[in-house]
Amino acid sequence: MSELLGLSGIDAGYGGVAVVRDASLEVAQGEAVAIIGPNGAGKTTLLKAIAGFVRALRGEIHFAGRRLDTVRRHDRVRAGVVYVPAERDLFPQMTVMENLELGAYTHFKTRAQRLEFVLQLFPRLQERRKQMAGTLSGGEQQMLAVGRGLMANPRILLLDEPSTGLSPFFVSEMYRQLDCLKQEGLTILLAEQQVPHALGFSDRAYVLENGHVCKSGRSADLLGDPIIQECYLGVA
Amino acid sequence: MIAILIDGIVQGLQLSLMAVGVTLIFGLGGVLNLAHGQFAVVGGIATALFLEAGLSIWLACPLGILSAGLLGLIVDRTLLVPAYRLHGEERLLLGLLITLGLSFVISGFLDYKYADVALTLHLPTASVNLGGIVVRTSSIAVALISISAFVLLFAFLKGTLVGKVVRSIIQNERGAELCGIHPARIRTLIVVLSTMMAGLAAIAQALFTSVDSEMGGGFTEFALIIAVVGGVRSINGTLAAGLLLGIVNAFASYLIGAYFTLLILLAIVMATLLIRPQGLFARLT
Repeated sequence: MSELLGLSGIDAGYGGVAVVRDASLEVAQGEAVAIIGPNGAGKTTLLKAIAGFVRALRGEIHFAGRRLDTVRRHDRVRAGVVYVPAERDLFPQMTVMENLELGAYTHFKTRAQRLEFVLQLFPRLQERRKQMAGTLSGGEQQMLAVGRGLMANPRILLLDEPSTGLSPFFVSEMYRQLDCLKQEGLTILLAEQQVPHALGFSDRAYVLENGHVCKSGRSADLLGDPIIQECYLGVA
Repeated sequence: MIAILIDGIVQGLQLSLMAVGVTLIFGLGGVLNLAHGQFAVVGGIATALFLEAGLSIWLACPLGILSAGLLGLIVDRTLLVPAYRLHGEERLLLGLLITLGLSFVISGFLDYKYADVALTLHLPTASVNLGGIVVRTSSIAVALISISAFVLLFAFLKGTLVGKVVRSIIQNERGAELCGIHPARIRTLIVVLSTMMAGLAAIAQALFTSVDSEMGGGFTEFALIIAVVGGVRSINGTLAAGLLLGIVNAFASYLIGAYFTLLILLAIVMATLLIRPQGLFARLT
């Protein structure tokens, strides 16, 4: 498998203060990789650095063989690096369809077939297509956020805490749908606090603590790791 | 009474045309444009100069509107750049200072250079009788101009991709960036569009009274009052507030005189800010 995304020695943070320090990771084409770790470990900052919403203070980011950290963020979307933040950032006073349409902004002419795919993946969005995004339930909003991201024709989907604020039912539902995307061959980089779900879903994972990558490996192995079990899975 | 009501509605429409630009620039750019009325006057004076130069009215008006838009383009790409580099309240504050300064510069320049230029437009007939109500033809013309401008604006915002992009940035700028939209480019477009609409509003005003170099401040005041009452991020709200305040303005001027009218309008603004700071019609985005 060839490397699609690679970070080497990345420092990233706000106002010149590094939250993430010396982080290196790679994601291969078609792989699902999770970043796990406690609240405040720097998971979101790392994803934002890849998406261009936080400047990398040091280090390099490569995507599909090209330097990414010097590219402006709207051009990163065009290149296929699509970020779905935990806040979702939907357009509340626009309909579900309009939100999806705007998701296709960078590849507008070819949107029809992706729209069909998204509505098939999330039948609820089809039901709510004319409803304002702001009136959707939390679970539906998360579906719309992922759906809008898919409309941009991503080569890699950066997902931040897709389980935030969702009921256990919706969390399982969301991971079932993410699994479908993985089966379709989409490359996914996921930051998640719900460690069992994240490790169950991903091929590999990185453990982030205090801005450092302190552990990495195959997700199945990490699930069996006694330290991970103690710290994140609540198994004493 | 009906004549006053019609007057109020027409004036409200025309003022909304001015105010909607304030709403758009604030919603998209995070800058409250204190020089908006001055842009309008630039459009008016430029039209007057083109007319003086012998151009026909059908050429002079579009060129005058374009002049206001061109100035908007230049200001967006030069003076406002430092403000755009900042975010949130800092941008708002610097934007206020820059546009306030700009309003002085434009007013001063026009006073100095074109104090004797004024735009007055006359229609061939002064009034028509519509089923027993005598209506000024200028009122009809201004209503038609404003309504067509708003119809076009709404068609653009609701029906075109670029219009949807504009609304998306107003609702959630980061969300728009997640879709690969480049807000700065759209912002420039909106500043140009808004300043052109201000120019159009000044030309509409010239059908009632002459527009001269000293009217910028007054235009800005009205535009700000309407934008605040309507909810400074809501375009429909701006239109509704413009109509409301236009009608209030017409009746108050008729009943108690122009000076107290301004006090009443400002009282409405204060009441709005106290009771519903998001604007009376903020729900109607």
